[in-house]
Amino acid sequence: MEGAADSDTPVTERSAADRAAALARLLHRDCTRLLELYKERESFLSQHAPGGERLVTLALCPEALSTGEQVGHVRSALRRCMGLLECLIVREVEEMGEELEGEYESLRKTVRDRLGHLLHSTGALLEEGEGGCPPSPPLQCTEGQDEVEASGSFAAKIWTYRVLLELIHWTDSASQTLHLFHSEKHGQQQQLL
Amino acid sequence: MQGWVTLALLLSLGVKRSLTQNGLGEPPVPRGLTSNPDLPAQTLSLRWQSDSSLFDLEIFHTELMNVVLNETVAVKADPVTGLHSWTWHSPLPLECTSLSVHIRARNQLSVSQWSPLQTIPGSDIPVKSESYMFPQDKMVPVGSNMSFCCIVKEKEDFKEIMYGRQEMNATRLSRRTYAITVTNQPASGNTGTNVICFSQRLTLTGAVVFVGYPPGDEGLVCETRDLASAECSWKKGRDTRLRMKRSRTKYTLNGRDCLEANEKKTWWCSSKVWEENWTLVARNPLGTVQLTDSAQLTDRVHLLAPANVTVVEVKAWSATLQWSWSVAAYKKLEMVCQLRLFTHELSSTRNYGGPGLSSVVLEGLWPDSDYTVTLRCGSKHSFWKWGDESGPYRIHTKMDRPDALDVWMWMDSSNTGCVFWKPLSVRKSHGALDGYEVSQSSAEEDGWTTVSLPPGNFSYPIILNNSSDITVAVAARNPAGLSQPSTVTTPAYRADSQLSVSELLGTNGSFVLSWEPNVNASSGYVVEWFPTGCSGLCPVDWKKLPESDSSFTSLLISDSLVAGVRYTVSVYSLSTGAPLLLQRWQGYSQEMIPSQSVSELSPNQTGSDVLLSWRATDMKQQRGFIRGYTIYLANAAHLDLIANITDPEVQSYRVKGLSLSSYKFVVKAYTSAGEDAGATVAIKMEMDTADMLFVGILVPLGIMFCCLILISICCYKKREWVKKAFYPEIPGPKVPGDWSSPQGPLDVKPSPHSLVHIVESPEWDFTKEGLFPVPEEEEESENDNIEVDTDSDEPALLRYYNQVVGDGSHSNQVSDSSGSSTASVGSTQTEITYAGIQSPTSSQGVCGGGSYRPQMQSVAGPKIEFEADFQDDGLNTGYKPQGSWQLDSPEAENLSGSLGSPTSVTSSQFLIPECSEEKPQPPNTWFHNLLSGKS
Repeated sequence: MEGAADSDTPVTERSAADRAAALARLLHRDCTRLLELYKERESFLSQHAPGGERLVTLALCPEALSTGEQVGHVRSALRRCMGLLECLIVREVEEMGEELEGEYESLRKTVRDRLGHLLHSTGALLEEGEGGCPPSPPLQCTEGQDEVEASGSFAAKIWTYRVLLELIHWTDSASQTLHLFHSEKHGQQQQLL
Repeated sequence: MQGWVTLALLLSLGVKRSLTQNGLGEPPVPRGLTSNPDLPAQTLSLRWQSDSSLFDLEIFHTELMNVVLNETVAVKADPVTGLHSWTWHSPLPLECTSLSVHIRARNQLSVSQWSPLQTIPGSDIPVKSESYMFPQDKMVPVGSNMSFCCIVKEKEDFKEIMYGRQEMNATRLSRRTYAITVTNQPASGNTGTNVICFSQRLTLTGAVVFVGYPPGDEGLVCETRDLASAECSWKKGRDTRLRMKRSRTKYTLNGRDCLEANEKKTWWCSSKVWEENWTLVARNPLGTVQLTDSAQLTDRVHLLAPANVTVVEVKAWSATLQWSWSVAAYKKLEMVCQLRLFTHELSSTRNYGGPGLSSVVLEGLWPDSDYTVTLRCGSKHSFWKWGDESGPYRIHTKMDRPDALDVWMWMDSSNTGCVFWKPLSVRKSHGALDGYEVSQSSAEEDGWTTVSLPPGNFSYPIILNNSSDITVAVAARNPAGLSQPSTVTTPAYRADSQLSVSELLGTNGSFVLSWEPNVNASSGYVVEWFPTGCSGLCPVDWKKLPESDSSFTSLLISDSLVAGVRYTVSVYSLSTGAPLLLQRWQGYSQEMIPSQSVSELSPNQTGSDVLLSWRATDMKQQRGFIRGYTIYLANAAHLDLIANITDPEVQSYRVKGLSLSSYKFVVKAYTSAGEDAGATVAIKMEMDTADMLFVGILVPLGIMFCCLILISICCYKKREWVKKAFYPEIPGPKVPGDWSSPQGPLDVKPSPHSLVHIVESPEWDFTKEGLFPVPEEEEESENDNIEVDTDSDEPALLRYYNQVVGDGSHSNQVSDSSGSSTASVGSTQTEITYAGIQSPTSSQGVCGGGSYRPQMQSVAGPKIEFEADFQDDGLNTGYKPQGSWQLDSPEAENLSGSLGSPTSVTSSQFLIPECSEEKPQPPNTWFHNLLSGKS
């Protein structure tokens, strides 16, 4: 019984990391589906090859990080993605209003909520001594607008497409990193036992 | 010095002259040409100075010098500025490529020189090296035409331009610019129509165009809800298809922004004050619509819903409803209110009027009932429309005492009966019943005896102990109290046998009764009916009628009547005493065919008659008055009607004159509705004993005797033929006794046309001549048939040859009898078998040297030859003549078969022994004599 009592805390940590990894995988699928829906609406994107620089880069952290630091690293990227997604929603609502309530709009909201939940989950993991990267500065929507080459609707559609690609990329990265993080924690616990 | 000044003056004058007009009369070149492009509007404004008013204009695509405009325009100078101004609308966005403009003046005789080119740089100049597409985010109406251009990035190649999903044909405008023109554009989707420019390897750039409709709103109506402000509403009309926020329709009402419509996407606007004239303007980037309305405030009153609806007093038969108004101004408004009452899926409306109406009394409600009430009001004067309806309000009225019961007493015997009462409906019970109270009293007993019964009871048995009348009172009870008691006195019992019961015919499932009024019927009449023959708990029903002054009282009964059931219907007169029976009927509300056939159907044969008898079905199965019976004779596929008995009391029928056979009879009872299925009975008619003796013995004997006589007569008449056919005279062949004479045929060789039958027989010598002339016909026939027809009564044609046969020939002949017999077997033409002919075996020894000896072949050589011929004539196998004879005789073929003897087809022996030749024994029987005519 003592042993079981001692293992409560590691089990909780492992479960939290595991849940975060599962949430990241779910979010990755949501983002992939969101891009599919967007491509159905804007058919030309099926022939479009994305170009230019990434919207979210890893310049904030040095290379060769530990797994815990990588989690923080990915979390910073996700925070940036969250900012971009917020800007995307604001822009689309501004343009189209809120009366459109299709699957795309519904899933867009789901992704925002789950992304916020993932940020909260990974933040909770990092608070226990695994932080490494400084928090990225908050994104202003006007900044996102600046990245749009022109102010037209077409440029906004291209920008939306790139934001969705960033979401897919970073949620996938978060899924893998959190899975690795969970595996390492699990191995450490096995050694301790 | 003065000379230089003069020269300069002259030169200046010459220059000035050349600028204004050359020597040929040309107008001066326009000066100061400037261009001012309006990129969103795709227009180019040109300004210049000139004294002329007519000008030639040319506009080029700068790079390829393609002329896009060459036009002569008359432009007057602005009187203030003195400048000429002209605007050109470009079909293509001005950014697509650089444009060059020049102008020259024109008069009636000549034109000036072109002004210097004025160039408007496009976005395809080298300093702008990226890809571009124009125009961006343009809004155009459905069906319009539009041009797009794509400026390709430096060092990229152009592939195509897509409009939505449609690949367009592009036109090159410059080194980097390509353009398309789209005609009759369809409405866009939610996010516009994408126009995309592709290189060979990637998406270069694109634009979005929004194609939609101008506003289509209509039907502006303004009204007031609070007698002060205004609310104006309209119909949206056609969807503009413009979803983008900046392209949505914007509304103004009398010049003020309509916030409700612009921000909440509704189709109404409010105004704090009432204005008699209203103007709504709907505008989007593609057009404008203006709607107007005009009305007095009092003509457009649309009241709000009554608030706080409640019931202040509820009774059994009424309730008082009260409500309030949220607008104080309503209290002085003359209004009309409509109250809608719902109960048990039924609804009714009641209207009430008054100034500021806020309460009404609902009359005519039913006790212990649920009601749902809704209320709406409107202005009484210049009624515009009903106001908003209040929410439903539920009312439940209180209970009240039940109504009096409908009571009747039915007597099923002289001293037993039953009190019946009809259950009260919800409308009459006025609340859930707790039970019934039945009180009875007799004339001989004082007071009432009361019994309480639960609510499920609707009858109570009555027993008359001393044959005195009993009065019964029945009352219903509910929580609100006891109903008025209903009394009834026992009517006198009258059995059907004591009355003359009339037959009552139903009409359309009901009974129509009529009877003469009775002077004693002070309280009216009661018509009672129940199934005839019913016993025990009978479904007795009744109907009470008030007293009538008419000469005849009639009643239509259609309640609870079942088709095919016989009812007993009685009419009683009601007075202060016991009910008095006036009349009684029996009948069917609707007759049906009997459900069961007649029973005990039996046939009884009497001689050639059959008596059919049966019994009628029970009354319950009759289902109608039996009107008679039909009797049918059943054949294989149909029924033949024999009789129709119209008297239902007759239950037998005699079928007469039937022959000896089997019969099947069907008897059907019928009512006015038709026949039943029928009962079937079968009978086989049998003869009497005397008839059987006569028919069975004497008749066959007589017939047989007649036949024998006829046969005898016939045979006598045809005796010659019979004799010839059955008993032909068979001649016995005679052979000369000396068979040892030298070889050679003893052939008399008669002429073929005069054959002589040579027979040597001692007996025949005495009785017959030895020679018979043979008719030609027989000869010919015998020539055709190899065997001799020994059955013929004519003398057979025999030809004997005096051929010497060796000693062994005799033995061979004897031993070879089988061979002769075999030959005889082949004579299949001999079809007659002789009965009574003795076996040749027994007589062979005696008759061994007989004269008739079929010659057997003893020589090998000729035998072979003969067999060859014999095989050719397969039928002539019975007799084998000698080969030498056959060879020598030219007529051998014809005569070879002239010998033969009748043989049995089942025997290997000759049927006619040789001894018959010595002692011919004709069939001297009596029958033979009879046939031959001998005595």
